[in-house]
Amino acid sequence: MNASMLEAKNLTVESRLADGRRLPVLSGISFALEAGKVLGLVGESGAGKSMIGRTIAQLLPPGFSVTAGSLSFAGRDLVRMGAQARRQLLGREIAFIPQEPLGALNPVMTIGAQFGEHLSRLGIRAEKRRRDEAQVLLEAVHLPRAVQLLRQYPHELSGGMCQRVLIAMAFASRPKLVIADEPTTALDATIQARIIGLMGEMRDAYGAALVFITHDLRLAAKFCDEVMVLYAGRAVEKGETRDLLSAPLHPYTRCLQLAVPSLSALDRDLFTLPGEMPGLARLAGLHGCRFARRCPNVGEICRNEEPKLSPVAPKREAACFRTEMTLDIKVPNQGIPAQPKLASPLLLVEALEKRYRSRRGLLACTELAAVDGVSFTVSENEFVGVVGESGSGKSTLAKLIIGLETPSSGRIELGGHDASDRSENARRRRLESAQMVFQDPQSALNPRRRVASIVTQVLEAAAPRLPASARQLRAEELLAEVGLSAELGARYPSQLSGGQKQRVNIARALCATPKLLIADEIVSGLDVSVQAQLIALLRRLRRELSFALLLISHDLAVVRKLCERVLVMWRGKIVEQGVTAEVFARPRHPYTRELIAAVPGE
Amino acid sequence: MRKRPMRKELSFLRSGRVTAGAILVGIVLICALFAPLLAPHDPQEQNLITTLTPPAWSTGGDPTYLLGTDSLGRDVLSRLLYGARVAMTVAVAASLGAMLIGATLAHLAGYFGGKVDWVIGRAVDVWMSFPPVVLSLVLMTGLGAGISSVILAIVLVDWTRFCRVLRAEVLVTRRQDYVAAARLVGFSHWRTLTREILPATMPLLITLFSIEMGIAVIVEAILSFVGMSVGANQSAWGQMIADARQTIYESGWNLVLPMLAIFVTVLGFNLLGDGLRRTLDPRLAQAREL
Amino acid sequence: MIVQVLGLFARRLLVAIPILFVVSALVFVVLRVLPVDPAAMSMPPNATKAEIEMKRQEMGLDRPLPEQYAIWLDKTVKGDLGSSIHFRRAVSSLIAETLPATVELALLAMLIAAALGFAGGLLLFHLRGTWRGEAADLGSTVLMSAPDFLWGLLFILAFGVLWPLLPFTGRLASSFARPVHTGFLLLDTLIEGRPDMFLDVVKHMLLPATALGLAFSVPIMRVLRSSLYEIDHADYIRQARLRGVSEGRILLRHALKNAVLPTLTLMGVQFGFLFGGTLLIEVIYSYPGLGNLMVDAVRNADLPIIQAVALAYAAVVLIINMIVDGLYLVLNPRLRTV
Repeated sequence: MNASMLEAKNLTVESRLADGRRLPVLSGISFALEAGKVLGLVGESGAGKSMIGRTIAQLLPPGFSVTAGSLSFAGRDLVRMGAQARRQLLGREIAFIPQEPLGALNPVMTIGAQFGEHLSRLGIRAEKRRRDEAQVLLEAVHLPRAVQLLRQYPHELSGGMCQRVLIAMAFASRPKLVIADEPTTALDATIQARIIGLMGEMRDAYGAALVFITHDLRLAAKFCDEVMVLYAGRAVEKGETRDLLSAPLHPYTRCLQLAVPSLSALDRDLFTLPGEMPGLARLAGLHGCRFARRCPNVGEICRNEEPKLSPVAPKREAACFRTEMTLDIKVPNQGIPAQPKLASPLLLVEALEKRYRSRRGLLACTELAAVDGVSFTVSENEFVGVVGESGSGKSTLAKLIIGLETPSSGRIELGGHDASDRSENARRRRLESAQMVFQDPQSALNPRRRVASIVTQVLEAAAPRLPASARQLRAEELLAEVGLSAELGARYPSQLSGGQKQRVNIARALCATPKLLIADEIVSGLDVSVQAQLIALLRRLRRELSFALLLISHDLAVVRKLCERVLVMWRGKIVEQGVTAEVFARPRHPYTRELIAAVPGE
Repeated sequence: MRKRPMRKELSFLRSGRVTAGAILVGIVLICALFAPLLAPHDPQEQNLITTLTPPAWSTGGDPTYLLGTDSLGRDVLSRLLYGARVAMTVAVAASLGAMLIGATLAHLAGYFGGKVDWVIGRAVDVWMSFPPVVLSLVLMTGLGAGISSVILAIVLVDWTRFCRVLRAEVLVTRRQDYVAAARLVGFSHWRTLTREILPATMPLLITLFSIEMGIAVIVEAILSFVGMSVGANQSAWGQMIADARQTIYESGWNLVLPMLAIFVTVLGFNLLGDGLRRTLDPRLAQAREL
Repeated sequence: MIVQVLGLFARRLLVAIPILFVVSALVFVVLRVLPVDPAAMSMPPNATKAEIEMKRQEMGLDRPLPEQYAIWLDKTVKGDLGSSIHFRRAVSSLIAETLPATVELALLAMLIAAALGFAGGLLLFHLRGTWRGEAADLGSTVLMSAPDFLWGLLFILAFGVLWPLLPFTGRLASSFARPVHTGFLLLDTLIEGRPDMFLDVVKHMLLPATALGLAFSVPIMRVLRSSLYEIDHADYIRQARLRGVSEGRILLRHALKNAVLPTLTLMGVQFGFLFGGTLLIEVIYSYPGLGNLMVDAVRNADLPIIQAVALAYAAVVLIINMIVDGLYLVLNPRLRTV
């Protein structure tokens, strides 16, 4: 048996508040990682997985500290190690791969300068030797024209290229341990697959132990030897990947699995877990199992005692009293989906184009077509998805349809009327025909307005004389419709969680009872369980209110779950369109094939 | 590791600013409003026998002239109090004017963009290629001496300061999705500006207003120093400094006291503005200054 | 890169010309709305109306406004800035004497402001989060409330009157003969090979330049500190720490290079204010520069001087802004790519 590279024993990290209270961020984490193996730390946001990475580097935020347990690297205690000794380890034997590659490189230094500094620290002082070594390393990560690259600045590179540079720098010292914290979240799907492949190559070449932190179960399934699932700061399940994911023993793992939409033909509904993971503040007052409030298999013992991570099968540990009931968890039947009225087209787009001019150099101007001759229709009550990677033009298309941008040429017809009509009547009509749900809930909700005021904003302009009580009533109606309690109406957006904010977003769009809803990446960046909740919400709303949806997304699986038709966009053009199940099962265009191949786990 | 969470004493050093600033400004305001009641003498009354008396607590001082007299025997304390009137009048009136013009143009430029933004931007560029002091002097030459000219000159010079800073803030706010969302739910331009954008820029506006009042006091002092502000029959702090400069070897106090008055007033406005910035946008303050 | 910087300079010079045009036109218009009559002011008090009227015609004040401007413009472009009513000398020679003095003072003050500002900013950043840091922060707000001329007067009181260490009038002790080459005394004294004179010039400039520099160092300090603070939380700094780079190296080689950019932008904006600040400082220190010239001209309603000096101020500010922008282009690679 190999000596473990990274070993945690009952690791506990707490945050101390100004009033002396202690909040547990990580509790009782134990694992052992051997050289050459990959350990996946899987969890939703707030579960504490990134905290482990920070503990290894001892770069904990102010007020956070390790209060119990130990963390050791190759037998050396990381927590009690002096700062000098630890700095010696970082960048040499322990390396980190960051989440946002573009921001992780100094914008005012060339790639060569940053690489050179790192190599110099590793002992390669001579400039020529540094350049040669950097070239070798860059070629190993499949970056062509290394000489030119070294002279460039980070903003001249794409996200994928930056990540390769960072991987090259990480492996430059032949580290024994590499920590990758969500290294592909910020990248497009096709690039993601290649970066994962590259990391696998590096691991094989150097025999490093790898900790792979991710929220994506599918990615963990593809890449990791062993997986540890985290929930609210505790490890709830641990084991070898294939075993764990084929037959999960903890209810949370099972629910998570069932909540992830997949591309495969099995047309099952998604499991929706109620509520959200308890935040840091609430953890302090919880008794019993932290998952009890949301668990479908919850029992009396779960509420009173806290289960510890213990072996329940060979090489498998789970923190649950009732593991034998886990596999019984199934997705409840959610009813027949609504049917689109194909005979009545709601939105008609014909030869739509949007060109931008950009100045290059002193005099030359180039034109870029963000949307290049796009035509399609959306019928009443139909859910249509638009997929593509960044730069495909799908967001621009959404803005053109809703009226936030004016097309360079082409036609848009909404509900039978020409959308370019700028008269007052036309504007009023457009209110009821189409509304948009924006992507970033942070900037989509005015932080100075209360939630009730936000959801009924339409009434402010359309019916200014409406008495406050009537407005309040409508606000409560809307909040109930999106599954939020009426008391949230008095809060400010900053007091809501990400999922709640997105529901408010949807409620606001629904206030005018539009026939068409345009949703721009509304489930990206949300946790899997929250995503499942929102998908279920949209389906229920569709049954109750009957509206059409144009869903812009880069996540094919989500589109597969929600939309009956799909448009695939690439560089401003629609390269393929049709019934979703058909297009994903038998893709014809090579780009569609590439997109599908890039989805992990398919 | 020096990074411990903030102790309560340290947070006082921050929120205390608003209180401290308000107190200082309040004191000067009271002096200005109640000068006729508070001043022991007529500020213009000359007494050629008791010229250049030092303040009451030093040797040779006279308790009837608490802070001493100037080169023409006028009571320094009374002159300071009446000078506060001039300072505060100019501060409030000029800042209000500069703010109204600057803020309106900034919002129009930032919100509508395009040609409107270009024209206003170029106007600001031209204005700001001039050092403000020089521009004020030139304007004063054209407008003639006197307080109303001073106020007008400050308004015409300083609106650019408001405009430039607020425009950046308007641009940032405008890019937020909730502004687009407001337009989509049927808000007119006017409603969007007043209901969505203005509340967001208000904290900065208030801060700038407070700081501008300090700047106005300074500009008035400069202009009265060179003799272009109030006439010889009124007292202003800058004027007192100019007079005292002639007798600097004999009486240092005459120089220091009006300087102190200016400093305290400007400090009050700056503390108020700085403190307001931190409290009115607490998310910003916490995020940035942890 | 050189090409891009030169291109920037060319573009800015092109833009500067219409700006100066508009500036001079505006000043022209403002000055002609005078409540005082410059003709009457230049005549003895017992002059008759007819004599004053003749003087007006002589000064060209009776012609329509656009015509007056066109004449002025024509002469200016040829180098003739008119002649001072009060001093009875060519304006251009007056400006040639005083402009270098003011520019010299402003540049020295800017240097002091930059040095103090950077040192102070680094110190404020280093002390952040501690009570000393908070006190220093408060101290900087307090310091900022003292305008430049207040420092100027304070320095005179402290180091000129109470403890007479340094001179506070003029540029050079009257015992020395002033060398006349470029007008920049610091250079001229070196050209003449007179280190003792050089030292004397420095002593004269020390109080006014430090007063100005101190006042303008405070905003620089604060911006540097807040930039460093924001950058400290940036991803690339975090990544450098994770690579094991030492804190000192991170601050000086990684963070500072980025923090310089917004600080430089601020310095560019501040220079306009600093240059204006020289006006009152010169009056206080009886320093024979543009500021004193301007104040005299305003008191005497000496229009040709006011016109020309206003233009000179605007031109210097535009040139310095151009240089600062060029420097920014050199330091910020993101602006440079094609």
